[in-house]
Amino acid sequence: MFRYSLITLLLLLTAFVVQQFLPAFTGIHDSRILIVQLVFLCSAVTVGHRTMLLLAFIGGFCWDAQCALGPHGGDPEVYTQQVESLRFGYSILLFGAMGVLMQGIQPLFKQGKWQFSALLSGIAVLLYLATEYAIINFVRGNFVLSKATVYQIVFTSLLTMLFSPLIFWLLFRIAEACDHSINPEAGRRRRHAY
Amino acid sequence: MKPLNLIALLLFLGGAVWALTRSDRTVREIQNAYYSAMSPFLKSGSKMETHARAFLKETRHSKDLETELEVTHEQLGRLRIIASRLHALETENEELRRALNFKKIAPFDVIAARVIRRNPTTWWQTLEIDAGSKQGIRSHFAVLSNDGVVGMIDRIDNGGERSSVLLLTDEKCLVSARVDGSPEVGILSGQRGGFDGVPVLRLKFLSSNAAVRPGQRVFTTGRGGIFQANILLGTIDAVEKGALDSEAVVRPSVNFADLGAVFVILSPDS
Repeated sequence: MFRYSLITLLLLLTAFVVQQFLPAFTGIHDSRILIVQLVFLCSAVTVGHRTMLLLAFIGGFCWDAQCALGPHGGDPEVYTQQVESLRFGYSILLFGAMGVLMQGIQPLFKQGKWQFSALLSGIAVLLYLATEYAIINFVRGNFVLSKATVYQIVFTSLLTMLFSPLIFWLLFRIAEACDHSINPEAGRRRRHAY
Repeated sequence: MKPLNLIALLLFLGGAVWALTRSDRTVREIQNAYYSAMSPFLKSGSKMETHARAFLKETRHSKDLETELEVTHEQLGRLRIIASRLHALETENEELRRALNFKKIAPFDVIAARVIRRNPTTWWQTLEIDAGSKQGIRSHFAVLSNDGVVGMIDRIDNGGERSSVLLLTDEKCLVSARVDGSPEVGILSGQRGGFDGVPVLRLKFLSSNAAVRPGQRVFTTGRGGIFQANILLGTIDAVEKGALDSEAVVRPSVNFADLGAVFVILSPDS
């Protein structure tokens, strides 16, 4: 169990490196594959509550370290109305909320129905992006939602979801290598059938 | 809920609150540590990308290259003629200035940098260039391309060889701007979120009866301590009149989807 949790943590950190080299698809409304969020979501459903929270903290913390912007820095007499940024650390809470959502269908995953988790990972990414965009608008104080933004959110979620079977396959292989079962009920049923 | 899970939840929330209450300076330190750890992967990744690009370039059809060479030769000839004409004008201008005892406008130094990659964020508009503090670049220096303002330096890597550029299309990049042929001045910024085709910028705080019309060009005013004066920002596409003030929708002069090389102005202010 410990070895598996440690490897999922390393997998999440590796996802940060991989993310750097995944470009946006300009032909599909600048959508991109959010591999960090996907690895976190898929891992969240396979681990316990405490490990999920640890992964959410590290994932959110590193994501904000990667994306946070500095202050504008211009003359405050000219730039009187500076644009407020999202606070560093908000992603930790978003990652945590997504993790809790994923763990909601953990019983189904434990029965071997990983397809539901794969589907939910897409929904979770959609909710994550929609919430992030809503917070940006809230901080700005002016809600603007264009068709292009909706497409960007939807296509990013779909593209990310398409890769979830691959991540689950990887997690199953890791669990096997660590001699740890991430869906014990399905394993028991299989043994019973034999 | 199990006691251990409850303790874990409380620790998680405590950690989140700790992160949310960090100052800008601490956040920058955290970011520097993060990018220092990431640096070896980024360096090797961009090396591989450069090799791949070079390979693809080599395998391009020679016919294409011949045509390109011909066009380049034609352009070079044309530019030589323009350059000689400009040189003559410069000399004439210098003589006239001397005759009028005119104060010479301080020139600014620029260095060229190559765009390495776009940062992998959904809403934030940033990119990375292959020049940093070793080349004299500091935070908040203006970044230009041949067509106009690209953005400003947001962060410089610890190694001093890379920097992150906040693009003009991000709403955090504010520029004091003026409308050409009009006394109107305002603050230009982008807007986060998806856009169809060309991104649009918004020129805010124009007077309610602003005499501006589509097609007018927008330049930097030089005020605010970041961007030098008279650099092209874009062209007005539409004007939205309000009760208290007006806003203009501006099409940027720079094609942000196709940025290969940029120039960083080394002096922060004119």
